[in-house]
Amino acid sequence: MTTYDEETRDMNEPVSEDSTELGSLDASLAVGVAPKKQLGFGFWLSTFWVVLITLLAVLAPILPIKDPTENYIITETTENLRGDLVEKPVQPPYSLDGNHWMGTDKDARDMLSRSIFGARISLAVGFITALFGLLVGGALGMLAGYFKGWADKIISSIFIISLSFPGLILAILVVALLDRSLWTVSITIGVLAVAPVGRLARAQTITFAEREFVIAAEALGAKRSRIIVREMLPNVLIPMATLSMLVVAIAIVAEGALAFLGLSVQKSATWGKLILIGSDINTLESAPWIAFGPIIFLFFTVASLNYMSDRLRDFYDVRDAYDLYD
Amino acid sequence: MLMTYTTETEEPLLTLDDYRIGFKTERGLAKAVDGVSLTLKRGQTLGIVGESGSGKTVLNRGVMGLLAARNTIESGSAKFNGQELVGENRQSFWGTKIAMIFQDPMTSLNPVMKVGNQVMEPLRQHKGLSKSEAKQRVAEIFTLVGIPEPTKRLDQYPHELSGGMRQRVMISIALAIEPDLLIADEPTTSLDVTVQKYILDLLTRIQKEQGMSMVLITHDLGVARGRADEILVMYGGHVMEHAPTEELFENMMHPYTAALFSSIPHLHHKKHTRLSPIPGTPPDIVDPPIGCRFASRCAYAQERCLTETPPMTYDGDHRFACYFPVKTPQGQEALEKNQKRGHTASGLQIRKGKVA
Amino acid sequence: MKRLLGLGLLLTVISMITFAAMNLLGDPLFNILGPVAEDVDNPDSVKLIEEAKEQYYLDKSLPERYVRWAGDFVTGDFGVRFSATGQPPVTDLIKERFPRTLQLMLMAQLIAVGLAIPWAVNAASRANSKTDKASTVTAFAFVSLPNFALAIILFYVFSIRLDWTPDVYTATDPFWGFTHDHKLMQMLLPALTLGMGSAAGYQRLLRTDLITTLQQDFILMARSKGVSRRKVLYKHALRPSLFSLITLAAINIGYLIGGALVVETFFRIPGLGTAVVEAVLREDFPVVLAIVMIVATAFLVFNYLADLLYGVIDPRVREKENYKESIFCSWKRRVEPVDATVEAPT
Repeated sequence: MTTYDEETRDMNEPVSEDSTELGSLDASLAVGVAPKKQLGFGFWLSTFWVVLITLLAVLAPILPIKDPTENYIITETTENLRGDLVEKPVQPPYSLDGNHWMGTDKDARDMLSRSIFGARISLAVGFITALFGLLVGGALGMLAGYFKGWADKIISSIFIISLSFPGLILAILVVALLDRSLWTVSITIGVLAVAPVGRLARAQTITFAEREFVIAAEALGAKRSRIIVREMLPNVLIPMATLSMLVVAIAIVAEGALAFLGLSVQKSATWGKLILIGSDINTLESAPWIAFGPIIFLFFTVASLNYMSDRLRDFYDVRDAYDLYD
Repeated sequence: MLMTYTTETEEPLLTLDDYRIGFKTERGLAKAVDGVSLTLKRGQTLGIVGESGSGKTVLNRGVMGLLAARNTIESGSAKFNGQELVGENRQSFWGTKIAMIFQDPMTSLNPVMKVGNQVMEPLRQHKGLSKSEAKQRVAEIFTLVGIPEPTKRLDQYPHELSGGMRQRVMISIALAIEPDLLIADEPTTSLDVTVQKYILDLLTRIQKEQGMSMVLITHDLGVARGRADEILVMYGGHVMEHAPTEELFENMMHPYTAALFSSIPHLHHKKHTRLSPIPGTPPDIVDPPIGCRFASRCAYAQERCLTETPPMTYDGDHRFACYFPVKTPQGQEALEKNQKRGHTASGLQIRKGKVA
Repeated sequence: MKRLLGLGLLLTVISMITFAAMNLLGDPLFNILGPVAEDVDNPDSVKLIEEAKEQYYLDKSLPERYVRWAGDFVTGDFGVRFSATGQPPVTDLIKERFPRTLQLMLMAQLIAVGLAIPWAVNAASRANSKTDKASTVTAFAFVSLPNFALAIILFYVFSIRLDWTPDVYTATDPFWGFTHDHKLMQMLLPALTLGMGSAAGYQRLLRTDLITTLQQDFILMARSKGVSRRKVLYKHALRPSLFSLITLAAINIGYLIGGALVVETFFRIPGLGTAVVEAVLREDFPVVLAIVMIVATAFLVFNYLADLLYGVIDPRVREKENYKESIFCSWKRRVEPVDATVEAPT
């Protein structure tokens, strides 16, 4: 049992890192004792995982892994009714063993290589979405933030409408009506990413457009296009990069959700689809690894991207821009 | 123990002996309070004066036990009513024996709670008053501190009151507690000049009426003058000088006290008198300089001040830590020497007659 | 008033876009009649086609159809389904399914807030301690776990392995009770799935805000007054820290609805989520349109309620009436903080 005293003392612990509680009172105390900023071990671990899974996905066809489409049926020798020894196939799915590290599915296909090949589509959707969101959203946001006035009003209204739309419903609608190709899925999710990315780009642009170096460039007679490209892009880009990691993560999850509803990229097995296949009650009961394998891949990838984005935002102090009211 | 009753009246309320507070930081231990000794008699007011960063606020929060335990190291001795505080849980003093008033009444009142409720809290919790009794008592206290229309104010929020009114609410909270000791930490710094005097007078009046002891923390020697019985001057966690108020103003011994005094405006100054700000910044308390902590900013500083920490010199009630006190022959000699060579031992540039 | 106008405008624009998109991209006639719709050489089929066109206003121009639909919609008639029979009417379908989704949402939101508040208070009051770090990691894990994955994990653990909760949703009453036959238990896992992900997001946000509040002077003041630790945390610190949480909880309605599609499908709950998925697959546009409108309206209404809640929590807001002047103004203010939190798409 903890005594009251111990508990009460804990209350001040938010200050323990840098004595911020006193910082407000004794300025000299805070000066020079601010903690060093570090990205930390977790960040590098996350980066390692993201790089690894990306490499695996890209190089999957030439890596010495099992063919994701082949049925690795195992046979066993049993006695038949007449007492003869015969080779008989064992009913898949097979559990994890040295041969199939993540087991096999009901068709005796290797789950590890299926997960790695699934990463190809899932990651592709994530990156295409982020690229689209970043390009379109970034451009719109920067235009709105830099020119203000009517351009800003129109673009901001588009963002607001887009934000109040039930996104996943829109996505399933478009995907169901058009087709289920990689590009349709990616661009549809990408469209949903335009508004949040655009809002951040706009907020950042407004902040930076009022900074000294931009004003100085303007005073020196630099062309507007030049200012946007040379001065503002790098300053808007860092926060955008951290956001884009988040967008990749969100897009991967969104694709997973679509796939889970049976509405994602046809023909190829993405993580979401693999999870769906393993998720019916009988399969879960008899062979939980079919669903849990891809879940682990998906979880580590999404968590890593989230964490990287979080650390980077902290590291570069981007957080302020997220709270910017306009 | 038998003696306790007979000596109680003579026994000081608060006694600190070589009291120290350090904060664990990444760079090392920040010695915010570094060996402070003092006594506060019952019913008296002690003024603690120093720049920001001198450790005066940390000292009081430390005594009160309000600092984060995990990164704070407290040592030495602090006795309240004869009871040792260091290493002890001070929870039982909160809201009963010691009350605090903070610098900014806007940030120290809860913005989303009616002021009446904020004053009622200690009454309900520690005095066991019912809601209506507490309400009535708060109205009485409000009248006492000069808040007009007390019953109406009870239901108002801090943002609906002026700065002066808010500080009166803070004082009301202290009054509701009826403490033995009131710690007022820069109680008027954030207020309008016109309200400052009223609040200070109110504090002094209440302190006298209730027979409380008070610690008045301020950066302004002028505020402490006339209200404190004794003044303690702190710098870099050290006591620089300590004397009864009148004695201190008559015989300022420490160059730091003198510098503080001449950095604030005074009524007797002629028009357009230049104030002399103290050059430089407070010392690094994680890695403090050896020798006198004020040496790098002191016009009197000699080589000795940079290598040896001056011990406390006692002159009756008056004590100070300086090798070359102001207005003594040694001090004058040191100042003249520095003026002649144009800089002090620490390399601080001085012009003739510039530094007091 | 201006606010309501903005709200209406926003809903109109949303309905127009959805209406246009569905009618331009899909072929409603085919969905009503099936293969007959393409059999234009057969006079019998042509007759059927003509009848259907008339019945579903398909012979009218798009704007006219929209106006008719909108007129019916505001009077509470959501139209006829695009199916061979057109039965039951969309309104009846919604009436049947909406309460289930509402129950799910409410339970999820209650679980989320109920978990997040003590979790965040506990973490913030011991910020940077081991407890806090552990809870931050946990929150991060839950935020990063898509709800379909969480649904599977919970289902596997509680329904299959432990058998504490039923495997199937039977839509039977009564609600209250703790056996497999009660709706409460049938809703528990779906609500937990939605709620836990949200709770983690809430916790992260509230913890940050609480830490800021706990460093305020008035907390020190409250402690020096002798207010107990519990009261300092829950009475003094919590209330001024709730702003972002309310904002997030309101915006999170969108996330919950998106999650409901997945969760209802997985747990086979016949709610709005499953209805919309089915309707999309069958290109039953009136149903999709009705649900899109309900969702958008709910989203906007809850955000409006959040604005009112600000006033309840902070007296300073109550006075500034212009604070909630136009929907656009408050919108911007509200949408901003979400970017900082990890959110699955809606």
